[in-house]
Amino acid sequence: MYGWIWRHLPGNTWVKALISLVLVLAVVYVLFQYVFPWAEPLLPFNDVTVNNQ
Amino acid sequence: MAATTDDTAEHTDDSPAPRRRPRGTGRLALAVSVLGELLITAGLVLGLFVVYSLWWTNVIADRKADRQADRIREQWAHSAPSGPGALDTKDGIGFLHVPAMHNGEVLVKKGTSTDVLNDGVAGYYIDPVKATLPTTGKAGNFTLAAHRDGHGAKFHNIDKLAKGDPIVFETRDDWYVYKVYDILPETSKFNVDVLAQVPEESGVTKPGHYITLTTCTPVYTSRYRYVVWGELVRVQKVDSKRTPPKELR
Repeated sequence: MYGWIWRHLPGNTWVKALISLVLVLAVVYVLFQYVFPWAEPLLPFNDVTVNNQ
Repeated sequence: MAATTDDTAEHTDDSPAPRRRPRGTGRLALAVSVLGELLITAGLVLGLFVVYSLWWTNVIADRKADRQADRIREQWAHSAPSGPGALDTKDGIGFLHVPAMHNGEVLVKKGTSTDVLNDGVAGYYIDPVKATLPTTGKAGNFTLAAHRDGHGAKFHNIDKLAKGDPIVFETRDDWYVYKVYDILPETSKFNVDVLAQVPEESGVTKPGHYITLTTCTPVYTSRYRYVVWGELVRVQKVDSKRTPPKELR
């Protein structure tokens, strides 16, 4: 999978490494900004109140 | 000798051929390697989620709480004492100081919904039992909740509180000094009786000015609730320099 992506990136090794880094950062950004905030309330780690439900 | 050399040469020529894998095996190897890469990726994503929950949410929440706190301090500085601005509580009603928790001041806002608490503040209960605010002067229970981990983790060190420790609530005009008198290290999350105006579980029977802090326990989970009760000792007027009461010095 990652080998396939690497082979299909353009340019020489340095350009490929740079593009890979940008891609990784983009994925981390999407996770932190959208995926994790969405997933967090669905997981039972952060209920702090007492209530009837 | 010559024959042997020939043999060797032939073998050398042939050797790349056996290295070529048959088609079926190649496909299986590919499937296994893709599966492996997916599993490694899943592990990394879970690791990142831990980083997000325990670190990044704190960064975001502290930033928001600091901004709201600054706004309130500004409002307090610019409004006349007990003027019309006194009831403006949209940004929060005051600050909680708990020296034993070593986390500075905690902004107190209305409500205990996730939206409120995720901004790195402590919220006072409006549901299921409404908190009695100390500013009303009425007898009752000032009930608060905040996160134990992540999102500012304002009550992370709640277990460091001991009986007799001070809890100070600061409003624009007054310092409300409470003293911890009972602790419940573990209770069910359905135990709403701890929020009662007279919390009998803490051993009191008469109406008084109480404060209740609730959060989740043990750390990193939400299995049980940790409860700390305090009672009002005195109310001290804020002076022009906002000198903190002796408990905070």
